[in-house]
Amino acid sequence: MKLKKYISLTRAGILESLQFRLSMLVLCAGNLLYLIVIYFLWKAIYASSGQDSVNGMTFHDTLIYLVLATSLFNFMEMYTVWQMGRGIQSGSIVLELLKPMQYKTYMFWSYSGNFVVNFFTTFLPTFIVVCIVTKGAVPLGMNLLYFVIAVVMAVIINYNIDFFVGTICMYTESIWGINIMKQVIVLLLSGATIPIAFFPETIRRIVYYLPFQSIYNAPLTILLNGDPDIKDVAVTLGTQLIWVVVTMVISKLFWKISLPQITVNGG
Amino acid sequence: MAPVIDIKNITKEFKVLNRREGLAGSIKDLFSRDYKIVKAVDNITMSIGQGEIVGYLGPNGAGKSTTIKMMTGVLEPTSGEILVNGKLPYRNRSKNAQNIGVVFGQRSQLWWALPLVESFKLLKDIYQISDEQYDGMMKLYQSLVDIEPLLHKPVRQMSLGQRTLSDILAAFLHDPKIVFLDEPTIGLDVSMKAKIRTLIHALNKEKNTTVILTTHDMGDVDALCRRIVIIDKGRMLYDNDISHLKGFFGSYRTLKIRVDGDLSKESAVIAKEFPEFKVSADDEWISLLVDEEKSTIMDVFTGLQKKRRISDMQLEEISTEDVIRKIYEEGVK
Repeated sequence: MKLKKYISLTRAGILESLQFRLSMLVLCAGNLLYLIVIYFLWKAIYASSGQDSVNGMTFHDTLIYLVLATSLFNFMEMYTVWQMGRGIQSGSIVLELLKPMQYKTYMFWSYSGNFVVNFFTTFLPTFIVVCIVTKGAVPLGMNLLYFVIAVVMAVIINYNIDFFVGTICMYTESIWGINIMKQVIVLLLSGATIPIAFFPETIRRIVYYLPFQSIYNAPLTILLNGDPDIKDVAVTLGTQLIWVVVTMVISKLFWKISLPQITVNGG
Repeated sequence: MAPVIDIKNITKEFKVLNRREGLAGSIKDLFSRDYKIVKAVDNITMSIGQGEIVGYLGPNGAGKSTTIKMMTGVLEPTSGEILVNGKLPYRNRSKNAQNIGVVFGQRSQLWWALPLVESFKLLKDIYQISDEQYDGMMKLYQSLVDIEPLLHKPVRQMSLGQRTLSDILAAFLHDPKIVFLDEPTIGLDVSMKAKIRTLIHALNKEKNTTVILTTHDMGDVDALCRRIVIIDKGRMLYDNDISHLKGFFGSYRTLKIRVDGDLSKESAVIAKEFPEFKVSADDEWISLLVDEEKSTIMDVFTGLQKKRRISDMQLEEISTEDVIRKIYEEGVK
């Protein structure tokens, strides 16, 4: 019974997405277009380096990694910061605050339908195309199971970070700059735009102590490793779990402190 | 019986930055710590019982919405006590939400892209409404308004009136103890207003739901509320039955007469004859606002008739609107 309300929200999200057929088509096409850009960009980078392998990754490896990172990004990006910012600015957040559910939980499940839709429209097609084109560069084994677990945790960490940044809007009442900054930081430090292997040694070490790499780097590393050492996987998943807990506690606490700050604009 | 809403001396203050003008001023503002305290709600006390419909009135910016947001638990009062259903609303917001329904006239809680029935089903699950209760509610709605054509229409394709109606039905769906209606008839045509008033009235009767209604339309107040509360600049001006309101400034009635000749000239003459009353003229009528504690309508009329031939006359009861306007403009004596 308790679970039903969450599933219902997911269902409504799916229904809502399905209402906009064209938007789904554009999403698919936009994803493809971006992939083409990545292909030519990295081709040029490898050509100019004059080597087959840069930082231990071949062009082939890099491309597979980035293509999957992009589709994972399309799948995980939740636009929570926008949603919260708009709600706070316009005052429509009142209606969400007055649902018989925690705001944070409500916002998550309201969006969750899009995960399902995005999975089928962006991630799965890309994944299948990559599998076929590369003829088995992506290993299909136990790593898929670990990957699913890693993605679930990545989604939670990503949401907690988004929610934390969204909460800042309570103080600033403006979202644009903050959101752009967040996006750049997350995409760069998580390994979504450039594989972390390409970072200089010191920065790479620092990045491993930050939560961001748990969002994209962790699940992708697991996915692309066909012969996983169970110890490595355990370390990666364990690190993710720690970040899940830490980001959850921090974002919840920050929200709790900030809520009395709310003024609710308009009317 | 314990009141469902019990408010004692609540005050809500907001901290607002004193802004300067111009580009230079705006840049200085970035580093300014020059705040002023604005009291949006100032020492309000009231207690509302189960099943009442209370009209909550006040001019724009009086602090009505702020009070409502405190009652719903979105805002925490700066000082004072507030209990809704016996609980502190801001501490138990999610639990409290189960017992209240809200309609903000300018916002919709419905799922914009989906047919209405999907929103209802979703609310059913979110509020954990049992099947019997849901079916019962739908039957009740069916008997009150013609919702069948609305149910399968996406909310975004609805007219404002249909959407407001749907929003009201959605707010009552989980049979809350209290429903807050914030300007539900804003921007609606006459027939839709009437429909919505009938609906609110019927739901209040049927379910004994307490309704807190803020509005600027005195038609809503006359049609629905027995009790009204008026606030302005955060302070309570009036809290009593609507029937007392008309006697609040003495008992006034408007006497309208028509005479031959230039009405504006004539009205100036009459104003001299009756300096204690307000006299005005338009294209058709000369109106006298008569305070019946000073002299009766009949005396005034006889006095007028002695000096001139009156071709036609009308007597108007003072409307709620007039009284409220007087309160907004002049405050309480």
